[in-house]
Amino acid sequence: MSLRDLCQRLQDLSFPTDIRESDWLFPSIETVHVLALVLVVGSILMVDLRLLGIANRARSVRSITAERLPLTWAAFAVAAIAGALLFSSKALTYYDDLPFRVKMACLLLAGLNMTWFHAFTFRHVAGWDHGRPPAAARIAGGISLALWIVIVGAGRWVGFTT
Amino acid sequence: MISQFCKWLDATPLSQTFQSLVWFVPTVQTIHILSIAVVMTSVVLVAGKLIGLSGRAQTLAAMLSSALPWVWWALAALLTTGLLLIIAEPGRELLNNAFRAKMLLVAGLAGILRFVQVRLRHDADYWNHRRLAAGGLGVASLLLAVTIIVAGRWIAYI
Repeated sequence: MSLRDLCQRLQDLSFPTDIRESDWLFPSIETVHVLALVLVVGSILMVDLRLLGIANRARSVRSITAERLPLTWAAFAVAAIAGALLFSSKALTYYDDLPFRVKMACLLLAGLNMTWFHAFTFRHVAGWDHGRPPAAARIAGGISLALWIVIVGAGRWVGFTT
Repeated sequence: MISQFCKWLDATPLSQTFQSLVWFVPTVQTIHILSIAVVMTSVVLVAGKLIGLSGRAQTLAAMLSSALPWVWWALAALLTTGLLLIIAEPGRELLNNAFRAKMLLVAGLAGILRFVQVRLRHDADYWNHRRLAAGGLGVASLLLAVTIIVAGRWIAYI
């Protein structure tokens, strides 16, 4: 069974069909998705700007991440669940959609970037917590910022191509 | 009258140019969404502080002094991108009740944030002595912010 067959089977299920055919269910889930993603992007943005040394330079990196990251994770969980429901309703359409594929690829890259940062660079944060972050941190922040801007843009484009 | 204004605006060379560029509306909307992200996250953190949910790492005054400049700049970006979207699609926004509600709610939220900021300027402990009022304004800010985003999304559906 191919991925396309799986997508077809997914969107033919009862609840995804209800979402697709309802006047209010899809818009409501989409609204929850937008609410959650603005919190994800907003919280990540401020951490990235601190890593780049552009914003909140008077505050330590650890205090900003401690303040923002719980919100990021909670909002990401909600966005992911809402996104999965939206995807299920028109799985084949989204699967074939280039902006959607770009969004998913960038989400994966953002996750890998974050994992690498936390596994390696952030382990030594005590040495640069109050000062200018090292090049590795600044690069991670810059990559994250760029990827999330593309994710938001690609996500918006999905609305125009599907 | 608004309907006639929309027809006039829609026919202007600027609006026609914006409409002819396939990338224009999605790109401006992307900047709009990124600006919303800055405002929304800042409001959630400030509201959490007002309600008393946030930790003691920062005082309210310190949090506001770091968060509010971002909010005001993001609101300026939202107004600018919003104006561009109105020029590109006048009827979609100006004749839409969800859009009108959204604008009233934005004015309300900006008013609350400004009020909180001004009181703090005169007295750094102002809200520490008025916990109930601070909590009420925090809850109101959160509800307004959420409703603004809901109204903004539903412009496309109403």
